Amino acid sequence: MLTRRQFAAMAASAAALAAAGRARAAEPLKIGAVNPYSGGMALYGDEVTRCYELAAKQLNDAKGGLLGRKVEIVRGNATSAQEGIAAVEQLVGRDGVEGLIGTYASSISNAASEAALNYGKFYWETNALAAGLTERGLPNYARSGPSSEDFGKRSVEGVLDLAAKRLGKDAASMNVWLEHEDSAYGTSIADAQKRLLEEAGVTVGIGAHSYKAIDVTDSVLRAKSAAPDLWVLTGYVGDTNLLLRAARDQGFAPPAIMSVGVGDTKETLDALGAEFLEGVLLVSYPRADISEDYGPGSNAFLELYKAEFGRDPVAPQGMTAFVGAKMLFEAIEAAGSTDFEAVMAAAKAMDRPEGSYETGYGAKFSDQMQNTRAAPVIAQWQGGEVKAVYPTAAASAEVVNLPRA
Amino acid sequence: MTEILNILALGLLLGGIYALVSVGLNLIFGVIRVVNFAQGEFVMLGMYGALAAQVALGFDPYLGAVLILPALFALGCAVYWLILRPLQGEPMMQIFATFGLLMLIQNAVLAATGGAAFSVNSSLAVGSVALGPVQVGTGRLIVLIAATVVTGGLAWYLNATWHGKAIRAVAQDRAAAKLMGVNVQRVYTISFGIGAALAGLAGCLLAPLYSMTPQIGINFILPAFAVVVLGGLGSVAGAYLGGFIVGLTEAFSGYYLDPALKHAVLFVVFIVVLVVRPQGLFGHAGAEEVGLREDG
Repeated sequence: MLTRRQFAAMAASAAALAAAGRARAAEPLKIGAVNPYSGGMALYGDEVTRCYELAAKQLNDAKGGLLGRKVEIVRGNATSAQEGIAAVEQLVGRDGVEGLIGTYASSISNAASEAALNYGKFYWETNALAAGLTERGLPNYARSGPSSEDFGKRSVEGVLDLAAKRLGKDAASMNVWLEHEDSAYGTSIADAQKRLLEEAGVTVGIGAHSYKAIDVTDSVLRAKSAAPDLWVLTGYVGDTNLLLRAARDQGFAPPAIMSVGVGDTKETLDALGAEFLEGVLLVSYPRADISEDYGPGSNAFLELYKAEFGRDPVAPQGMTAFVGAKMLFEAIEAAGSTDFEAVMAAAKAMDRPEGSYETGYGAKFSDQMQNTRAAPVIAQWQGGEVKAVYPTAAASAEVVNLPRA
Repeated sequence: MTEILNILALGLLLGGIYALVSVGLNLIFGVIRVVNFAQGEFVMLGMYGALAAQVALGFDPYLGAVLILPALFALGCAVYWLILRPLQGEPMMQIFATFGLLMLIQNAVLAATGGAAFSVNSSLAVGSVALGPVQVGTGRLIVLIAATVVTGGLAWYLNATWHGKAIRAVAQDRAAAKLMGVNVQRVYTISFGIGAALAGLAGCLLAPLYSMTPQIGINFILPAFAVVVLGGLGSVAGAYLGGFIVGLTEAFSGYYLDPALKHAVLFVVFIVVLVVRPQGLFGHAGAEEVGLREDG
C-alpha cells in the first residue's frame, strides 16, 4: 500500500515530467493564496493576502523575483472548508500555481492543505492558529506564524507576569475566568490557557458561548459570580464587543480584563469607547508599533503598507502574513525549486534567531513544522490607541490602569 | 433572590428583542404564508440605515427610524411585487427566492462596507437603569417598550381599521376575502411592506446594542422563526408572548445550565411544542400549512 507521501511524490514527479518540455524561465512563479475574500471573514482574508502581495512586490522589486522568475500571488476564495478544497483545485488545475499559502481560518487551512497534498503542492500556513494543523504531521505543511499554544502561553504570561504582579498577588491566590467562543478556534486557545494556568496553581473558571449569540449577559453574570481577578476573553469581534458591553451594563468590573486574538481594532474602539477600554490587555499578533529592536523593519513595513494602500493596516494579522510570505520565499530560494519536499526540507534547515523579522519572529521549525520562534505580543489600550507592552523588549509604552480604576 | 430577578429581567429584555424582530416576520408568515428568509436582512438593513443616517445627517438611530421605516416599507413592497408575486403559484420557489434575496442583500452590504464591524451610538441608549436590585440596560428597556407599543399598535390596526380587517380576512380565507371585494394582491404587497418596515424599526432600535456586520441578520432570524412558530402563525399576541417564552428559556438555561447549551434547550422546547400543538401556542388550527393555496 502506498503511503500518502509516496503517492504525493509520484504525483509531483509525474507533473514535473509533464511540464519539463515547456520553457518556463520567463513565466511568473505563481503561488495560490487561499483565504476568504467574501463573507464574514473577508476583511481579514483580504488584508492577509494584500500583505502576501506586498511581500511579493518587495521581492520582485529588490531581487527580480525567485529562481529568476517574478512571483505572482493568485487569489483563491475559500469561506469554508469545502470551498478551500475547490479553491485549491482551481488554483492548481486552472491557474497553474506551484504551491499554496494561506489562511485566515483553521478549518479552511485544514481542508485546503489536504487537497494541496493530493496535487503534490506545498501549503505554507502564515496565520491560522489551531494546534492540530501542525500536529497532523502533513508532509507538505508548515506554519510560519504562532499557534494557539503560543497564544495560550502568552496570555498566561500576561496573567502571571503582568496582572498578578500588579495586583500584588501570587499565582496560587489568583482567580481567573476564561470566557471563550465555542468553535475550534476559541476552544483550542482556552484549553491551552486552562492547562497552563492550572499548572501554575491559578484557580480557573471557564465559560463558553456561541459567537453568534444575540445575548451574552448570562455568560457575564456567571463570570461575575465567580468574582475573578482577571477576565480573559477569546472570541471574535462581534461577541467580544457584546461581552464588554454587557459587562459594562451589568456593572461587572474585574480588576483586569484581557482579550485574546481580537479587540485591538477600531471596531472595538467604536463600540466601547476609549475610556472604558483604557488598560484592557490584548494578546495579539505583533503590531507595526513594536520597537525596532524587537521587530527590525516594522516601521518600514508600516511605511510600505501606507504607500501601497493609502491607509493604516487594517489588522495586525497582516504583518505576520507579510513575514510568513518572506519566510516562504527564503525557503523556496534555498530549496532551489517549488517541489514541496525540497521546500519543507529547506524550511527545516532554517535557523534565524528571534528578532530577525519585522514581527520579532525568528525561524526554527519543529519536527511537526511549527515555527518555534513565533510568538504574539501583549498590548494595551491606552488613550484610544493600542500600544505594545510585553515582552518589555517589544514594548512601546508602560502598562497603565492595572488594576482598573 | 437578586440572582433570579436578574435572570428574569434578562429573559424579559431578551424577549423584547425577539418580539420586536418577530412581529414583522409573523405578519408576513401569517398573511402571505411565505417563509421570508430575508427578514433578518431587513433588520440588518435597518441597522446599517441607522448608521448611514448618523454618519450623513448626524441623526440618533432612534430618529433615523423616521427615514428608515418608509424606505424599508417601499423596499418590502418592491420585493413582493417584483420577486414574490410572479412566483405565487410556487411556494417552494418563493422560499428559495427569499433565500436568494438574503444572499444578495448580505453580499451587497459586504461589498459596500468591506465587512468591518461598525457601531452606532445613541444618546438615549447609554448606561443602565436600576429597577430595584436589578440593573437594566437603557437601550434594551427601550426595545422592550417599543416591542410592546408596536405589538399593541399592530393589534389595534388589524382589529379596528378597515385595512387591518382586510389583512385578517385574507389571512383567514383568501378566496372569501376576494369575494368580499378585498384586493388580495394589494393586501399582500402592503403586508410585506409593513413586515419589512417593522424589521427596519427593529434594526434602528437594536443598532446601539450590537456591533453590526453584514452577517448579523442570520443571528436574529433563527430564533425569530422559533418565536413565530412557537407563538402561533398569524397571531399577534402569539408572536409577542412567544418572544418572552424564548427569551426566558434562553436566559434561564443559559445561566443555570450552560450558555453554550441554551440554543439546544430552546430547540428542544420548540420541537416539543410543535409535536404537541403544531399550530403553536396561540395559533389557529390549520395555520401551519404554508403557502399552498389556490391562486388569489
